[in-house]
Amino acid sequence: MLDSVQTSQPLVQMDKIVKTFGGIHAVEGVSADLYPGEVVGVLGHNGAGKSCLMRILSGAMRANSGEIRVNGQPVDMKSPQDAREFGIETIYQTLALANHLDAPANLFMGRELKTRFGNLDERRMLSEATVALRQLNPNFKNLRDPVARLSGGQRQVIAIARAIYFQAKILIMDEPTAALGPSETAMVADLIMRLKNDGIGIFLISHDMHDVFELCDRVMVMNKGRNVGAFRIEEVNKDDILSLIVKGTLPDGWKPRGGTS
Amino acid sequence: MAGNAPEKRRQRRFLPEGSSLHKLSAIVTLVVLIIAFSFTSPAFLSVNNGLTILLQTSVIGLLAIGMTMVIITGGIDLSVGSILALAGVIAGLTIKMGLPVLPAMGLGVLTGAACGFVNGMVIAKMRITPFVATLGMMLIARGIALQLTGAAPISRLGDAFGVLGNGALFRVVEMQANGFPKVIFPGIPYPAILLLVMAVLGWYLLQKRQIGRHIFSVGSNEEAARLSGVNVDRTKIWAYTASGALAGLAGMVLMSRLVTVQPNEGVMYELDAIAASVIGGASLMGGVGSISGSMIGAFIIGVLRNGLNMAGTSAFIQMIIIGIVVIAAVYIDQIRNKN
Repeated sequence: MLDSVQTSQPLVQMDKIVKTFGGIHAVEGVSADLYPGEVVGVLGHNGAGKSCLMRILSGAMRANSGEIRVNGQPVDMKSPQDAREFGIETIYQTLALANHLDAPANLFMGRELKTRFGNLDERRMLSEATVALRQLNPNFKNLRDPVARLSGGQRQVIAIARAIYFQAKILIMDEPTAALGPSETAMVADLIMRLKNDGIGIFLISHDMHDVFELCDRVMVMNKGRNVGAFRIEEVNKDDILSLIVKGTLPDGWKPRGGTS
Repeated sequence: MAGNAPEKRRQRRFLPEGSSLHKLSAIVTLVVLIIAFSFTSPAFLSVNNGLTILLQTSVIGLLAIGMTMVIITGGIDLSVGSILALAGVIAGLTIKMGLPVLPAMGLGVLTGAACGFVNGMVIAKMRITPFVATLGMMLIARGIALQLTGAAPISRLGDAFGVLGNGALFRVVEMQANGFPKVIFPGIPYPAILLLVMAVLGWYLLQKRQIGRHIFSVGSNEEAARLSGVNVDRTKIWAYTASGALAGLAGMVLMSRLVTVQPNEGVMYELDAIAASVIGGASLMGGVGSISGSMIGAFIIGVLRNGLNMAGTSAFIQMIIIGIVVIAAVYIDQIRNKN
């Protein structure tokens, strides 16, 4: 079962990605891949380079060297718009919402629906947004309020809805549950499983070990800009990962765990 | 006491919220000003003075439309007064060179748009803050205007040049027996019509078109807009170009009204335009503002100026009063945002 996933073509391959800022090497030759219907956890300290790597994949930043392939095709992403064309959607930790605008305006930001005459199609955006948001949270109200007035959970729902409404194939989630309460966290976990079953590949940046072991199929750990370990989730336990995050190496005398090799 | 809280909440629902509250208070201010001035000077509340106010406000109003767009993006345009003068100079010089009035005025508006485009490029591509970039343009445009003319006004531009600023629609004039014309109905001045058309166009672009939505997005959260695929640079360049073009148009109206091009006309007009936008509810932090509000703001400034003039207040005192009004408007806006 797992093997069949592995043999299909990867959605994304990132090959020897390098990103430097002046003399600082933020990402040093990191490679990663993602298969359909798979959740890959990306872990590491703040400043380990994981956000940087994901920003390169989402088109918000350009790598100095290295290659990104989507469905086997090398791609050159100059902007977030380019990334979206390849079905790569990102849910940023900051949520990237315009506080003064309402939920439909945020959901369709940069991709506004227009009428035949090129005017904004407010009515259709509102009805589409209502459907998209209620799917994630049936109690979603106040769609016409500026999003600054909404709760953290509602804002998160808008950010998630924005990514999945446009049929993402590849989803990057940066700390999607960091600002949420328990029930909202459970909602997001639920959603991740649903998306995974739909064949969407997800990169999940998280600090929450519980989430990582619950949701991820594989993990990769970054330390000081390098990929210090990539494992199937059964092969490692919490201590191994913490050791990789903190020291950049596995504990002494480590052997793959789980025994299903 | 306990029963008080729901009571209060119910009461508050009847009050208009946020921006409409601000607009309402601006309209109330305008009405109060008109009533107060009609007491201080009897000639204030006359048709002719009304038309004068309309004429005076049309220039500030045109500038305020562009200024509002720029302020919503989170920027500011300090160069509109100078661009107004430069556009007038270009139109005047080309008329002197033999170009007909209409294409010359078109060239003037285009000059304004070009200056605005340069503003936008400097801000978006060179990443200079709007304050500094447009401050530079304020000096550059004024300098070019003065250099081209040797600081001397350009006059004798012909009657056709004065039509835009002095003409009116539906004006009814009757020749009297003694040979003097008598104005029966003064008509609707062209500048007022132009202001109305541009305000409606500005409202349409801001509220109904994608570019307007992008202007709001950029001002509300620039990084979010960029990450969402909004072309931030293009949006900013568009806003500054529009502001420049409107400044050029305002220059045509003003110079046409004087039937003379004055290269040192329009000094500090940018402050009136900024004041109009801010009084009308635009936030200098970006993301908030409306054309209708700015038009009310422009009329408040226009009425204030005119009423104080009619009451014989000195120009210096006027500056003090308008300065206080602007600070008060921003303060009220801050209180509103805290709630």
